[in-house]
Amino acid sequence: MAAAASHCLLRLYEERHELEDYQSGVPRWCTGCGDNAILAAVQRLCRDEQLRPEKTVFVSGIGCSSRFPHYMKTYGFHGIHGRALPVAEGIRMARKDLHVFVNTGDGDCCSIGAAHWVHAIRYNMNMTVFLHDNQIYGLTKMQVSPTSPKGLRSNTTPRGAFLEAMQPLTVTLGVQNVSFVAQAVDWIPELLYDIVSAAYKHRGFSFIRIVQRCPEWLPNLFEPWLHDPERVRLLHHEDGLEVSPTLARVYRNQEHHDPSDIDRAREIASCIDPIPVGILYRNPEVPCYEDLRETDHLRTNEFIKSGLEAEFDKFTVWPSA
Amino acid sequence: MDAIRQARVAFYLTGSRPVAELEPVEGLHFGPALLARYRDLGSLRHDFPAVLLAGAEAAVGVRPLSGLIDDALKEVAHGEAGERISQHALRFETLLRRAVAGGARGSLRALWTETARQAGADEDEQLRDSLDRIIDAFDVDGELADCDAELPPQLFSHVWQQIQHEKARRLASSVARLVHRVSNILRADFARSTEGRSADSLKASIGGVDAEAIDFDAMSRVLRRTANRTTITEERRRRLEQLASALQSYDFEPQAFRFTSCSRALAAWRERFPMLIDVARAIAMAELEIAGDYREDRHDAFFADYGADGLSPEDISMFADYLVCVNAATMDAQEQAALMEILSSGLPIKILVQTDDILEDALQGSARRGFGRSAPHFANMAVGLTDVYVLQATASHLLSCTGRIADGIAYPGTALFSVFSGATGFSADLPPYMVAAAAVESRAFPVFSYDPSAGADLASRFSVASNPQPEGDWPLHEFSYEDEERRKVSASIAFTFVDFAALDERYARHLARVPHAQWDDAMIPVGEALEAQTEDPPDRVPCLLMVDRQDQLQKVLVDEKLLREARRCREAWHSLQELGGIHNSYAEQVLAEERQARRPGPPQEGEAPPEAVPEAAVPATGEGAAVEAEPEPEPSPDEAYIETPRCTTCNECTEINDKMFAYNDNRQAYIADLDAGTYAQMVEAAESCQVSIIHPGKPRDPDEPGLEELVERAEPFL
Ligand SMILES: Cc1ncc(C[n+]2csc(CCOP(=O)(O)OP(=O)(O)O)c2C)c(N)n1
Ligand code: SF4
Ligand SMILES: [Mg+2]
Repeated sequence: MAAAASHCLLRLYEERHELEDYQSGVPRWCTGCGDNAILAAVQRLCRDEQLRPEKTVFVSGIGCSSRFPHYMKTYGFHGIHGRALPVAEGIRMARKDLHVFVNTGDGDCCSIGAAHWVHAIRYNMNMTVFLHDNQIYGLTKMQVSPTSPKGLRSNTTPRGAFLEAMQPLTVTLGVQNVSFVAQAVDWIPELLYDIVSAAYKHRGFSFIRIVQRCPEWLPNLFEPWLHDPERVRLLHHEDGLEVSPTLARVYRNQEHHDPSDIDRAREIASCIDPIPVGILYRNPEVPCYEDLRETDHLRTNEFIKSGLEAEFDKFTVWPSA
Repeated sequence: MDAIRQARVAFYLTGSRPVAELEPVEGLHFGPALLARYRDLGSLRHDFPAVLLAGAEAAVGVRPLSGLIDDALKEVAHGEAGERISQHALRFETLLRRAVAGGARGSLRALWTETARQAGADEDEQLRDSLDRIIDAFDVDGELADCDAELPPQLFSHVWQQIQHEKARRLASSVARLVHRVSNILRADFARSTEGRSADSLKASIGGVDAEAIDFDAMSRVLRRTANRTTITEERRRRLEQLASALQSYDFEPQAFRFTSCSRALAAWRERFPMLIDVARAIAMAELEIAGDYREDRHDAFFADYGADGLSPEDISMFADYLVCVNAATMDAQEQAALMEILSSGLPIKILVQTDDILEDALQGSARRGFGRSAPHFANMAVGLTDVYVLQATASHLLSCTGRIADGIAYPGTALFSVFSGATGFSADLPPYMVAAAAVESRAFPVFSYDPSAGADLASRFSVASNPQPEGDWPLHEFSYEDEERRKVSASIAFTFVDFAALDERYARHLARVPHAQWDDAMIPVGEALEAQTEDPPDRVPCLLMVDRQDQLQKVLVDEKLLREARRCREAWHSLQELGGIHNSYAEQVLAEERQARRPGPPQEGEAPPEAVPEAAVPATGEGAAVEAEPEPEPSPDEAYIETPRCTTCNECTEINDKMFAYNDNRQAYIADLDAGTYAQMVEAAESCQVSIIHPGKPRDPDEPGLEELVERAEPFL
């Protein structure tokens, strides 16, 4: 009998990708912008997992953070404001062989795209979603966003924001079928990487809220957290993140949290200070929508055409004979 | 020793009947006493007739009629009419069973209607109502089959066909997917080509009334200018086109793969093999092409001689399995050789070897053509080949083996099914079902299976569990009768090979009836005689309990030749038992030795009870315990350094001096060259780093201007 391994051998993909191979162009972000840290962590993930550029796609909406796909030498879709998730869902549905990532800002996701966000959680399609939450509209030069802290003076709230900030984590954890929720801060790169990596490995809708600094419009907003490690609480668990000893030396405020405990996860999610960092919730059992809708039916031209025709026929006014 | 005894011993030893008191049993229609209750098979609910369910959806392709009727009754026999419907149904089931046993064939529904008419359902409104409700509750239909010589090929073909149907569907759908995606590559390429952007192509892609509204020439001019120039190579295009056609060249026509001869099946397989290679190659290549993994420099050569050493089991299992149905009696030497060749080939050929007579020439030893009596041993031998799926069963047990039949057909290699039909033609009016069932009961033809895919060892592969009382030599049954004084007598008796042989007319000469008046204690049951040591001359002689047509108990002497056959049969059964893990001689030996060794003796000197091992100290990490920090050597505050793992890639320092500060493999900053910049730059970087991980150390150049102020600014970052 022939070597049964021939198929696997053939697939061995010899090319090795280095970090720079995933880099495209020079980021236009401000110096010191937290998006740089996210880009570095994601490129590291791509290299470590050896994701094939032609099998990887980054989808975004509009905003500074949504420029992300331009800086990845993979497939990308810089979409329209608030619609990154529906585009990503369409890609996932049609091309299950691709690794799908989504970059979205707090304005993009929690404001104009909020409806899509809620339903995307419920659909639980396999993709990794980064919410770059700088608590401001950066690209359009400093308008208040749903996650801006109460009292923040911005171009649209010169007398200070009137409302309490929305908590993206509690919203996400409140939706049916939620399967992975984590929080990271851009200034602890080691944890950022570990969380991004865990999110990528989870099969389902992996949502990471990344607290991201915007030194251009809110240069001092996170100053107190940046300089006081006690104001960051690390969530660690055998089934979650394992914190390295070096990090443990700096960040002594820790909690042993089991990511399967959704009730505790919800409590943690509503805590603003200290900022919880780690995996709040993970449930690998939630089915993915694309799997539920899997069909043998080939989407041939004829098939699509007949479907469309049938749909159009419903609205066609036939001339009477 | 009196004369009668002498005559009995003489019969036992020679098989001849010297006195009139030992009567021949030929023509007396005796049957083994244990089978007396089953004489009227038609009135007994059992696995037959069976319905070979039509339609590919049926998970188990065969059901006993009685099972279908039970299911239907559960659904419709409720309420007032419930009792009436049940009674009608069960009585009608008997009628159907007798009709099928009498040779009636056809689909369940057709035969149902016909039998109902004969039973007078047209005139009897209630009967008609009951039968209509039952048949309406059946959601299946299929051919009715009885347990006879036709059953094995009919049943195996049926199950085989259903599996092939599903396989064909799977292959067709995966080929369609590959063809679709390969042609998508070609279509996408065409759409980007100059031709694809010609006015005509563009117009054709829009069509309809709107076509008039657009200037396709202008559109074509614009699109051609912006067209993507990187089209696929001519070579790849040709390869893709060939793939699409090679993929569609396999025709899955199951009927073409059913044979009645091993050599013909083998020849057909060989003839077709090159085509299988082509299709398997095309599938492998298409998968690579679609994933964008095809590399001409490596794969061209690999695929050029794909399949030269045969195909992998994964490849082969995509295609149709061949089914060969042969009768052991008609296999000549050439067929037997072809069978051997198939069995050792590993090819997906499934062979049903049917035997109708396993007692043929048992005592004569004459050499007739065909396997005949050696059929059971043949299946044992196939187990020795280790990678053949083997199932041995009788027709009576086939229904309970449908799962294993399906497994064997789906097994990605060769399968051998050895089946005894029971239709010997030498058992007078006894239905084949009874003969076949008796063959299992008597260990003459035990049921066993060997599934190489079930695990790595015999324990997971081999099973004799379907035999009655598999742990015993012979199955024991309670037998009760009334004696002359009408008292109930019960005895536990073994059903042995002798009972089975006694069903066969040809074995009557090894039996002799003893008149009732002469029954005595020197006549012992066969089971007992088989257990006893053979003595010479025997003190007591074996006898078999039989009943005649009037249900009168009879005792029949058995001669030594038949007893010897029974012992041989038991030996063969023992070796099957061992394979099946029952009374394993090695295990029993080890057990005996171990028992011997453990027998308590006086304590030996220097032997002390083992000391208790202290439990390993487990570090107490309670809930919520913080991850402990490990002490690390502190870097000197005099030396400049960066806590690289904490760098957030914000570009602040690299923008100040990208010779002094650089990024590592993870895009995190480190000090690349201290001499590439000034202390002033170092301090500025430390100040602008938002996570404060740059530690400037002491100035290296004592002559740098403004040092005093710089050292002061550096202070907080040391
Ligand atoms: C439909 C629509 N409405 C409004 C805008 C203007 N707009 C561009 S970016 C943006 C907000 C982006 O904020 P966020 O998503 O937080 O991204 P950031 O720039 O902060 O990363 C808005 C409102 C737009 N481009 N499209
Ligand atoms: S404006 Fe803010 S969010 Fe946008 S690039 Fe600059 S620092 Fe980053
Ligand atoms: Mg924002």
